[in-house]
Amino acid sequence: MRALWLLALTCATALALGLGLDSARAQSSPAKPAAPAAPQAVVRGLAPLPGNAPVPLADRPPGAVSGDGGPSPVIFPPQQLTIRFNHKKHVKELGLTCTTCHDAAKTSQASKDSLLPRPKRCDACHGSDHRDLSAVTTDDDALMAQCGFCHLGYKPGDGNRVARMVMPAPNLRMNHALHVRRNIACSQCHGAVENIELATRDQLPRMKGCFVCHQMPGPARGQARGECVTCHLTEKGAVMKTRFSAGTLRPPQWLHDAGHGADWVQRHKQVAGNDSQLCASCHQERFCTDCHDGRVRPRQIHPNDWISMHPVAARQNDPSCTSCHRQQSFCVGCHQRAGVSMSGPYANFGGRGRFHPPPEVWSNPPRSSQHHAWEAQRNINACASCHVERDCATCHATPARGGRGFGPKTGPAGLGDSGFGGQGVNPHPRSFRDRCAGALRRNARPCLVCHDPADSKLQECR
Amino acid sequence: MGVRPSSLVVLGALTLLCEVTPARAYEAEVAATSDAQFYTLRSPWGDPIVRRRRYTQALALSVYDIQGDFVPYGPQLAFRARLRLDADFGKERYETNPRQPGTFVPDLVQSPVDVMYAYLEGRNYLGGWVGFRAGRQYVTDSLGWWSFDGGLVRLTTPAYFQLEAYAGFEQRGGLPMLLGTERYASDGVYRGNRDELELNQAPYFLSESRLAPAFGFALESVGVHFVHGRLSYRKVINRDRVVVSPFPDTGGGFQRVGGDRVSSERIGYSVRASEPTLGAARGSLVYDFYNQVVSERALALDWYTTDQITVGADYDYYYPTFDGDSIWNWFTHSGMTTLLGRGEWRPSRRFDLALSSGVKVFETEGDSGTYGTVEQQDRDPDRSETGRLSDWVVNLAGRHRWSDGSAGLRGATETGRRGHRVGGDVTLNQTFDQGLYDTLAIVSVYDWEDGLRPDRSATSFSYVAGGGIRPFDETRIGLEWEHSTNRLVGQRYRLLATLDLTVLK
Repeated sequence: MRALWLLALTCATALALGLGLDSARAQSSPAKPAAPAAPQAVVRGLAPLPGNAPVPLADRPPGAVSGDGGPSPVIFPPQQLTIRFNHKKHVKELGLTCTTCHDAAKTSQASKDSLLPRPKRCDACHGSDHRDLSAVTTDDDALMAQCGFCHLGYKPGDGNRVARMVMPAPNLRMNHALHVRRNIACSQCHGAVENIELATRDQLPRMKGCFVCHQMPGPARGQARGECVTCHLTEKGAVMKTRFSAGTLRPPQWLHDAGHGADWVQRHKQVAGNDSQLCASCHQERFCTDCHDGRVRPRQIHPNDWISMHPVAARQNDPSCTSCHRQQSFCVGCHQRAGVSMSGPYANFGGRGRFHPPPEVWSNPPRSSQHHAWEAQRNINACASCHVERDCATCHATPARGGRGFGPKTGPAGLGDSGFGGQGVNPHPRSFRDRCAGALRRNARPCLVCHDPADSKLQECR
Repeated sequence: MGVRPSSLVVLGALTLLCEVTPARAYEAEVAATSDAQFYTLRSPWGDPIVRRRRYTQALALSVYDIQGDFVPYGPQLAFRARLRLDADFGKERYETNPRQPGTFVPDLVQSPVDVMYAYLEGRNYLGGWVGFRAGRQYVTDSLGWWSFDGGLVRLTTPAYFQLEAYAGFEQRGGLPMLLGTERYASDGVYRGNRDELELNQAPYFLSESRLAPAFGFALESVGVHFVHGRLSYRKVINRDRVVVSPFPDTGGGFQRVGGDRVSSERIGYSVRASEPTLGAARGSLVYDFYNQVVSERALALDWYTTDQITVGADYDYYYPTFDGDSIWNWFTHSGMTTLLGRGEWRPSRRFDLALSSGVKVFETEGDSGTYGTVEQQDRDPDRSETGRLSDWVVNLAGRHRWSDGSAGLRGATETGRRGHRVGGDVTLNQTFDQGLYDTLAIVSVYDWEDGLRPDRSATSFSYVAGGGIRPFDETRIGLEWEHSTNRLVGQRYRLLATLDLTVLK
């Protein structure tokens, strides 16, 4: 109970710590626009909607969901927007199109290209002149031409410097020109930007939206393929790059139900067994072998002091041991060395006492609930981690096959040096009689370990 | 050290591959990992004491774009290989010397070397429809994680499925020249190289001197994102001539059996269906032809209740099966059924929490309290009655990540008539100076009770302190110190030193 209390206390502390840190981090997010210093009259274009009201889902990019906090910050790293801009006014009231300002999108073939309009593009309408930054206007009648009209945080007496806008290149492959040529409208990826004022990271595409078109791998889909590497950056060997300075990329829950949650390591078997090529999109063999065929104990599977604890886990009918370990090669050798296996060198285990409960409980009739038969029936893997087949055949082999159990000496003369024959105790399950013929036909070797070829029981299976 | 000459040949070949003419557009990568571990194990009776002085080194070579310049969706040819030395200098000579039978442990090698994988892979050939692999490679599907030496061809069709076929030899450990491990062979048989053993020496340790042919196929859906299914079939054949009974016959000899016989033959199907706004269902089924039973079946349902919450249920059934040569195929009477309810909460990208709880059930033949008390005399008792044994399971996992670190929480409980195991640990990772330095701290408390061996019950407290430095990209030097204390062993210490090095050419 003391351990239970400790565990509960640890859980509660970690949970509180996690949530506290999380909210603190969220508050310090750098994605928010800088504080405005524009004239009082200039209040539009500071946020997606006036008063930072939430953008209706219909106006957000396809695939966006309420409360998603924008696209992945690993794909689209946080931005620092130091400009105010009203898309709704420019498109709906002034009749501009997207490419009036973002004309570079028509020719851009790489995601690193900046698609923002050059400042001189603004000059044509705003009356400003970005060619000579020292000659800025302060004329109250030319409000639109003043630096502070668009540049947030502008201070007139500060050498006409404006805050730098930070828009890191997305960690993605993107050929805008290709999409434009295929008549894919901007709104198909970016949502209804014409209905909002300031465009933020929230107007950048969501992977779920990409899948509207990109959902088929292989040549069957032409160029709109669904392979990860169609859009995601790759490392050598065409494996997805997942580690960036902005963080590590992990699949969302909805993507093939492969969300790498906190208990993913316990759940990944089904996904990997179903579609290993999906895993291979991001992971090389090395990633798998480090746990499944590794030589350093993976702590996410085996916690501290596992060596002391593992006997209980193995005997608690935990079949997951066999996911990585082969008992007859991995376990037996070490157990023989440590003297916990009766099949090992006598010098290691002789004279040291029993590992299992006393014979009257463990091996002699009548069977109690702690009899070894129940353990073998329900979790033979645990038996196989210490024993070799000889240990079982000693009692379970028929007397004619030379077993050396404590049964009556009924075998041929010369068998059973100890003077006792094998007991021939039937270990087979209830349905064995229906299956023995097929098994015997496919591989007779295990049958012959306990049964003489002339054994009537064996003949019944032929 | 005892490194085999064949391993030097492989190393030489890898080196030669690195030195291919530089006129090509290929890119090569050589990665080496070295781990040194030092710890000591003690038998429950105090001795013997097993000293682990382990040194593991893996050398990986990858050569990409052998076909020439990379063209998106065009043919790609790559070679990947990884060679491993897994030495334990704590293994004593008397343990590995078969001429000292009083202390000899079969299959114990001080410095085994194995080729984990080494294959040539082609993708997108013949218009993108054909891919292939040749060499030692892994296959992962519902039949498990498996390795073989041979060839695999994958044919993609326009009809939303692809066909995969392979043939070769299962990777096994008994043939020294092949530098393999037993890791991927079916379990239940203790076998390996008997070259230096007398006939009557450890007769239960079976000979592994011949290749084990294997082949299989898979039919897999592609191109439909909301559903994915894979049907897999695999058969492995034993050909060694092995001892039958571990006991000598009247003449003092050992009877043997040889010829082709089934090692394993299984077919499995796995399917996943998902709808991003609703949830997902996953299921799998494996049928074992040798045992003629459904050895595994599983079903998992996930409901994406909200974008932050997923609830679900997992069902899993597992019936242990072994190599066709193993007698243990016929000792299991009933599989293990696990039923879990599960919930996952993701309030943000940085924090998530998962909780699962349920029961593991085993059905016994006969009542587990009275079975066999009378029927023992005829050795073939009535097994029509059934009983049930259950273990209760609770798992908790939580994680919080920040830009340069993370905190993880894990708790696990399993309790039943065989005792209990309960505990948890907290893990903290933090990097400094843009990842130049990293640190690790783990604290854990576990309590366990073994119902069959109450004297082995204990409460353990452990901690790990570690750190590393990345002097160059893809290079890390690390050190970890682990200290555990419980009443069974007193104090246990473990030291782990690692060196990871990657060279790009």
